[in-house]
Amino acid sequence: MFDYLEKQLPKLIMAPTVIVMLVCMYGFIGWTAVLSFTKSRMLPQWEYVGWAQYERLFANPRWHVALDNLLVFTLLFIIISLLLGLMLAILLDRNIRNDGALRTIYLYPMAVSFIVTGTAWKWILNPGLGIEKMVRDLGFTDFEFRWLVDPDMSIYTIVIAAVWQSSGFVMAMFLAGLRGVDDSLIKAAQMDGASTLRTYWHVILPVMRPVFFGAVVILSHIAIKSFDLVQSLTGGGPGYSSDLPATFMYTHAFSRAQMGLGAASAMVMLAGVMAIIVPYLYSELRAKKS
Amino acid sequence: MSASTTSHRLYKALFITLLLGFALVYLGPLYVMLTTSFKGIEEIRNGNILALPDTLDTSAWSKAWTSACTGGDCYGLAPYFWNSIRIVLPAVFISTVIGALNGYVLSQWRFKGSNFIFGALLFGCFIPFQVILLPMAMLLAWLGLANTVSGLVLVHVIYGVAFTTLFFRNYYVGIPSELVRAARLDGAGFFATFRHVFLPLSTPIIVVSIIWQFTQIWNDFLFGVVYSGPGTQPITVALNNLVNTTMGGKEYNVDMAAAVIAALPTLVVYLVAGKYFVRGLTAGAVKG
Amino acid sequence: MGSIKIQQLTKSFGDIEVLKGIDLDIKDGEFLILVGPSGCGKSTLMNSIAGLEDVSSGDILIDGNNVTDLSPKERDIAMVFQSYALYPTMTVSRNISFGLEMRKVPKAEIEKTVADVSQLLQIEHLLDRKPSALSGGQRQRVAMGRALARNPRVFLFDEPLSNLDAKLRVEMRTEIKKLHKRLGTTIVYVTHDQVEAMTLADRIAVMKDGQVQQLGTPYEIYNNPSNRFVADFMGSPPMNFIECVVLDDKLVIESQGEKFELHVPNGKSLQQAGVDTVILGIRPEMITEPKPHVAGALVHSIPMQVDVTEPMGPDTIAFGQWNGTEIQARLSPEAGVDAQEKGRIKVQVDTSKVVLFDAFSGARLDA
Repeated sequence: MFDYLEKQLPKLIMAPTVIVMLVCMYGFIGWTAVLSFTKSRMLPQWEYVGWAQYERLFANPRWHVALDNLLVFTLLFIIISLLLGLMLAILLDRNIRNDGALRTIYLYPMAVSFIVTGTAWKWILNPGLGIEKMVRDLGFTDFEFRWLVDPDMSIYTIVIAAVWQSSGFVMAMFLAGLRGVDDSLIKAAQMDGASTLRTYWHVILPVMRPVFFGAVVILSHIAIKSFDLVQSLTGGGPGYSSDLPATFMYTHAFSRAQMGLGAASAMVMLAGVMAIIVPYLYSELRAKKS
Repeated sequence: MSASTTSHRLYKALFITLLLGFALVYLGPLYVMLTTSFKGIEEIRNGNILALPDTLDTSAWSKAWTSACTGGDCYGLAPYFWNSIRIVLPAVFISTVIGALNGYVLSQWRFKGSNFIFGALLFGCFIPFQVILLPMAMLLAWLGLANTVSGLVLVHVIYGVAFTTLFFRNYYVGIPSELVRAARLDGAGFFATFRHVFLPLSTPIIVVSIIWQFTQIWNDFLFGVVYSGPGTQPITVALNNLVNTTMGGKEYNVDMAAAVIAALPTLVVYLVAGKYFVRGLTAGAVKG
Repeated sequence: MGSIKIQQLTKSFGDIEVLKGIDLDIKDGEFLILVGPSGCGKSTLMNSIAGLEDVSSGDILIDGNNVTDLSPKERDIAMVFQSYALYPTMTVSRNISFGLEMRKVPKAEIEKTVADVSQLLQIEHLLDRKPSALSGGQRQRVAMGRALARNPRVFLFDEPLSNLDAKLRVEMRTEIKKLHKRLGTTIVYVTHDQVEAMTLADRIAVMKDGQVQQLGTPYEIYNNPSNRFVADFMGSPPMNFIECVVLDDKLVIESQGEKFELHVPNGKSLQQAGVDTVILGIRPEMITEPKPHVAGALVHSIPMQVDVTEPMGPDTIAFGQWNGTEIQARLSPEAGVDAQEKGRIKVQVDTSKVVLFDAFSGARLDA
């Protein structure tokens, strides 16, 4: 009898996690999905309204601003972080002394909350007392840097802060990748007479493709989930000019008593994440099998 | 010969300049936070964000800690700091323990669906939490845990277990199977094998798991802002409230002091155990 | 006390059948070796005996008790693993005593057992060290100590010597043999090294593709292989297999254009069976330089072209060709030098111990 229990132990141990996961991840996703098809406002109302919430969503100008912002933000955030991270990794890979200290400096922003980051950059970019004043004090009296309160530019402040926070991570990934490149490949290239630049371009970077993809996936994941940073840096403003889907969802689901709409926006966010993650995971698992 | 070494040296100088320059940029915000926190309000208004403080005025710090207003209450950050501690410590411990046991099972036993479970957990690490926000609120209310510290601990455990399980499973897969077989022959059962064979070997991954979870949970804002109420908010929520509360003029020095206070625990952990942190990031994120 | 009976054992991993019906009778106190190429199933069979793998069908009996459904703990078996599998965070002393700890043996008894075992294996001075501070040979001894401490009914050894360098391997081989003599416990031993099998075993079970090809003493296996596979697998350098035409009751050898006739035992039955061609199996030590004091109907003199020689020390292997097949002969070192220089040699061929195989199926024809 005890033998039987012992044999079942692995399954028993995993059972709570499996049940909780089924309920709190997949069950909840289902619940939110169902909610997005109802009339719910402040409280759930189980009255089916078909795609009405989604139609409302995509007719909402604020949602469009959020989507546009997401596109702009994600593209800039990913591209700048990749370039910066790659450059720093390449520079660090050249056996500089004290690269440990430098790596620590580039990475520490990741250890800190997005709220802290937002708070700090909100002060630095403060129109009137921040960078603007500093540059003016240097003599450029007409210098203006009011992005934080400029509806057209507010989203770019978020890019700046996000890049500051996350590019160190990209650097760490690339550095690990560079250090993993087989030395003999580089030596072969040198024997073939390739200059440093060409070695990088033709030999090293192609080997780094998986790292690139990994970085892109993770960065886009961070971008889509961005909520904390927006709340603390701009609050979504001025107005809702720097809104992102995550803040849109929060405001409508909780402050504005629009549960159904909020649920619909959450489902759209999920679809976006899945569109990136699913192909990536699939190709990774395929690669592992072969 | 000398031409190439000169250009070589020039390049090297250029690289180092670039690297140092960026180092300064990365350090910039921390520097600004610290210097601002030690300045007086007048000094801030008249001065320059990059200037060093005239005197080390610590009044902003004591205000941030004990009397700053975070929305309706003016108790400073102290109570919320302790809230975060009360949330983080149990959550890190519980999610690590569960993750270790799960990882043990998933790495050593192949039963129907074990691969599927692993895949489902992996996928679960990536979902945007917006999709579970509303139903989780319902669940917490139903359990009577709405707006409580325990409720937040529960939420963080639930969504942290996916990560910790992955960490441990990937690590335990590397333990040689002959070791497990030897233990079986020696008569060790499920728990005995875990206790005497796996656990002693687990120190590196336990550290990674703890550091990762500590950082994630301490820095969390989304769950904090949705599931806490007045009095039970974690420090990130309190900080955000503090900075956005303008009662009688903005006190930038207090804001900055508060930000540093909120950042201190994870920064210290990073500086002390940084390399485990990096390992945790790349192991958890890239390998999956 | 430690007899093992394996009946009709099969084991499949999913669709792949790894053990295809094993029947084995291991006597109490016997040193039985399972030998075969990689993938033959020997390790799976051993793990099944230990209880580390479930069987698909069939029974395992130890001392007449059916243990097929029992856990490893209950079978009273100890195992020495190929990689030793020592617990890295425990001292040598704890490694040895861990199994006893799990069985709740009283502390005093554990201490005595550890002392006795470590003395027997000469590892007393290592008791406080961790495995990482030990050499390969020392780790091997600790692994054996762990098994010995359990005083089991059966010892299982899974390729315990394959991770050691050649010299250490030979030393440990002798130690294991001495241990067996002293303890008298049944040993089931897996190896892919047929030299180890020959030197250590009371009996050998040669395996291939999940089946026992032959079970017998080293002498039987070597001199009376039941099929071509066994004949080819055992013996180094390996047996020569030459396809020969049957002429009356003799076999034809063609060497450098000339034909020679070989008398073989059972030649008459071959002739009566009307077989056209056979595979002649003859070991290299039966093809030597001429030895004047050896004569008889089954001793022949046949020339051989020598392509290359390999001096081994005590003798030299000469490579040549008969009937279009490469063959190997064992020559004395002097004859080998001579053969290398001249490129040819007249060898003495003793067919008293040859074996004959069917040209198509590889089955024994004259057993």
